[in-house]
This record gives sequence, C-alpha cells and structure tokens, in this order.
Amino acid sequence: MTAILEIRELSKSFGGLTAVDRVSFDVREGEILAVIGPNGAGKTTLFSLVSGFITPDSGSVVLEGAPITGLKPPAVARRGLARSFQIVQVFAGMSVLDAVTAAALLRLPLNEAIARARDVLDDIGLASRADAIPDSLSMQDRKLLEIAKCIATGPRIILLDEVMSGLTLAEAQVPLAAIRRLRDGGITFVMVEHVMPVVMSLADRIVVLNFGQKVAEGTPEEIVANQAVRDAYFGEDMDA
Amino acid sequence: MRPDFFQFLRSPLLWIPVAIAACLPWGLSAYHLAIGTLALLYVSLALAWNVVGGIAGQISLANSVFVGTGALLASALYIRLGIDMWFGMVIAAAVSAILGVFMSLLDARFRLGHLSFALVTLAFAEIGELVVAGTDFLGGASGLDLPKDHGRFWLFEFGGGPGYFWAALVLALICLVVNQAILSSRLGYYLRALRDNEDAAQAIGIELFRSKATGMAISAALSSVAGTLFARYSNFVDPTLLASPNLTIEIVLIATIGGLGTPLGPLIAALVLIPVGEILRGQFGGTLPGLHFFLYGVLIIVVVLTSPQGIVPRLLSLRRRFRRA
Repeated sequence: MTAILEIRELSKSFGGLTAVDRVSFDVREGEILAVIGPNGAGKTTLFSLVSGFITPDSGSVVLEGAPITGLKPPAVARRGLARSFQIVQVFAGMSVLDAVTAAALLRLPLNEAIARARDVLDDIGLASRADAIPDSLSMQDRKLLEIAKCIATGPRIILLDEVMSGLTLAEAQVPLAAIRRLRDGGITFVMVEHVMPVVMSLADRIVVLNFGQKVAEGTPEEIVANQAVRDAYFGEDMDA
Repeated sequence: MRPDFFQFLRSPLLWIPVAIAACLPWGLSAYHLAIGTLALLYVSLALAWNVVGGIAGQISLANSVFVGTGALLASALYIRLGIDMWFGMVIAAAVSAILGVFMSLLDARFRLGHLSFALVTLAFAEIGELVVAGTDFLGGASGLDLPKDHGRFWLFEFGGGPGYFWAALVLALICLVVNQAILSSRLGYYLRALRDNEDAAQAIGIELFRSKATGMAISAALSSVAGTLFARYSNFVDPTLLASPNLTIEIVLIATIGGLGTPLGPLIAALVLIPVGEILRGQFGGTLPGLHFFLYGVLIIVVVLTSPQGIVPRLLSLRRRFRRA
C-alpha cells in the first residue's frame, strides 16, 4: 500500500517543553490510523502541525508526494487534508446546512456546494437537522456536524481529534458507522482517540505517542501486547 | 449567487416600499423631506457598516474615516482641482477601500481579535480627524464650502430637496442589495464562518485576509460614497460632523439597536431612529439639546438587556412564535 501522508522527524517545542519530538510515521491510503497516548503526549499538537495551524521547528509533512510543511491551514485544506477539533468548533450563528455549505465551497460554486452539503448531511444522517443552529444540537449531532464539515471539503484524508469523546459507546455507533462507510468510499482517516473500544474496533493500525515521542506503531493486537505501551499508560513500575 | 437573491430582487416587498418612498417628495414638506433624506443617508451608512460589523462580526470604529474621505476628498478635488465630483466620488471610494484593506491587513497580520480590532480602528478614526484638521487641502478644521448646486447632474448636482432624496434612496437601495448579495454569495458564507470561528473557518479552507479585506473594502467604499453624497447635499463639509468618531458611534448604535447580520435591522433602525431623533431635536433642541442621544442611550441599554441580537430579529422571532401558537 502507498503512503498518502508521510510524517518525517517532526518536532515542535514550546519554551522548554518539547511537545512533539522527532515523530515519523506513514499513513497508508485507505486505512484508519489511530494516534493514542496519555494526556499531554503531543497528539493534538501533532494534528496542528500537520494541518498547518502550528509551524514545526523541524521535520516535514508530505501529502500525496508533495510537501505541505509550513503551509497555512486553508492551503492544506485545498490540498485535500481536512481536520476536526478536539473541542467541537461550531459556527454558532450558522445553520447546520450553512456550515457544511461553507466547507463545500472549497471546491464548488455556491449552488453546487449547497446541493453537495445536502448530500453530505443525508449521508451522515443529519438531514433532519439541516436548519438547526449548533446550540440546539445534541453532542452526538455536533460530532456528526464536525465530520460532515470535513467531508464537505472533498478531502483525501481526514484528521479527527477525539471525535468520539463525550459520547457513550451506544451514541458513538452512528459516527463510527459513518467513518467506516467513508473509508470504504476511499477516504483515509487519522484519529486521535481515547475511547479504547472504539480504537480497537475501528483502527487498522495504531501509533502510540508518549512525551512527544513515538513509542510504538502496529496493529491493535501488536499494540495491546507491547510493553512500551503498557509502561506509557500505567507507569514503568506496575509490576514492581 | 443563491437563487433567493434573485427572488429578493423581484420581490414586491422590496419594490413597493421603494416606489412609495420615491413618491414622497410630492407629499412631504421641505423640512420633512430633509429628514427623510438624512434617514436614507443613515440607512446607507448603517448598511455599509453592517457588512463588516454585522456579517463579518468585527466592530469597526473607523467608518468615519471612510465617510470623511468620501466627503472631504471628493469635495477638495472638485473645489481645488476642478475634478468632477462623480470621478472624485470614485477616487475617494478607492482610497477608502485601500485604507480599509490596510486595516484588515493589520488585523490578519497581528491576529488582533475583536477588542483590539475595535481599538485599532478607533485609533484610525481619531487620527483621521486630526489629519483632516491639519490638512489645508482638505479644508482643515474649518471645513469646505461647495459651490452652489445648479442641478447639473453630470457635475454631481441633484438640484435641491427632491433630487437629493432620490439620490439617497438609490444609494440606500444599492447598499441594501449589496448586503443581500453578500449574504447570498460565497463571501457571505466565508465572512459568517470567520465571524463565528476563525480557526474552524480556516480549517475548511477559508482565507482569512482575503475574505475580511474584501468585506472591508466593500464597506469602506459604500461609506465613502455616502460621504460624498452627504457633502454635496449639505453643501458644506463639517469635519467635526463627517470625519469624527462620533459619527461612527452613532452608526454602530443604530445598527446594533436594529440588529446585526441581516440588513433589515440596520435599515429599519435608521428609518425610525433618525426621524425620531430629528423631530426630538426640532421640538426640544432649544430646551433639551441632545435628547435624541439620550434616547439612543436608553434604547441601547434596553436592547442589550432584553434582546442582545437587536430589535428587528427579536420582533421576527416573536412573530414566528406567534404564528405557530
């Protein structure tokens, strides 16, 4: 399988703190890759580096063979990488349809963007809330709206930052099904996720970060069996 | 352009009020017609401000700079250099647009945020007034007198009360259509998304500077054109009136009381508040000067406390609720 996104030796420090420390990994086309790690491991910073919200100190990001390191977020979005935010970032004054339309405008003229937004909402199961404003949405629907905005930009790859957190496992089933469907439609996913049952059931591969460094990479089975991962989550002295 | 924009352009709800307004010069006294003209000029100013203040959600306090540029630059070019005021109007609008884009550049470059943006634009307004007072070409502190109006349309002369009323009506209509066009187009989506959340907007590919600068340029140019018309209408450009930050504050108050974002709020608020203010000034100007400002003050407090989104959106939502019940 070919790599759609290549992350090479990516580093970022804030003051004395190295939030992301020479992290490298590939994301393969059509897979769902989960990035996990304890709080403060650098997962969200990594997303911000890749999507252009933060400029890395060193290292590179290559999307479909072309470097995107240092590009601003709108340029990264145009190249085909969409991201969601850990804390759901809604457009408070815009209806669900308007928000998704704004995203679809990236590649389409307005009237086609509106039609496309309706299709995306249909697909993801938000069509009945098209005219609602975000304040009136349930947490589950807000998460779906975040995913819908990403999809509407017509991306090749989507970075989802804790899109399942705050949902019960039952509530998570709707967005989970949507993600699986989209992956089958050819979109690659990278997700930061804390909800382990979700990660284990959804991810093809997992990258584990701790203190800004990559400590493990592999299939869910490999990761569960990995000693470094256990140490990262439970502390090194667990068995002592 | 969304199809509802063309419905708006064809709507009798738009053209019947315009047609009625266009007939007013035959029914109103000169005094009341002058109030009507002033109200229409404020409609233009409030709607021009709404592009940035309402749709893009940035409290810009620099609109007096644009109005002053339109009034003083176009007048000075005419008086001093003999440049036709139509052409002067276009030059002033272009200068205003460039100034506006510069403010957007500062905003994007330094990520000013709402409060800092308001303060920076206020600084521009204060500086603008000082620059005018110190520039003889623009009339300095004493202002500019325009030559007598002979009704020569090609020289930007509209020949008295009715002519200026119609000119102000046309400009107000243009400002309304521009507002509606922005809301029904790509730019409207971009500005609203940026208003609500800059990071999320950029994440879906929206260019911050390009969008905000476009909105700012449109707002500045429209404000400037209103300034030029205001100047020619009053025959005398008073810099303490048209280049002063007080004018911006008045525009912001009117637009905010009416309700931001949609054009209807600033439109209706200007049409109600300016005539009420003028009549109060006419009635009580001798004994209670500034009563209309007091009225604005009371209104803004009431609006902020009861319906922060503004009176007109509030009334619309009440009507919807009433209909449902």
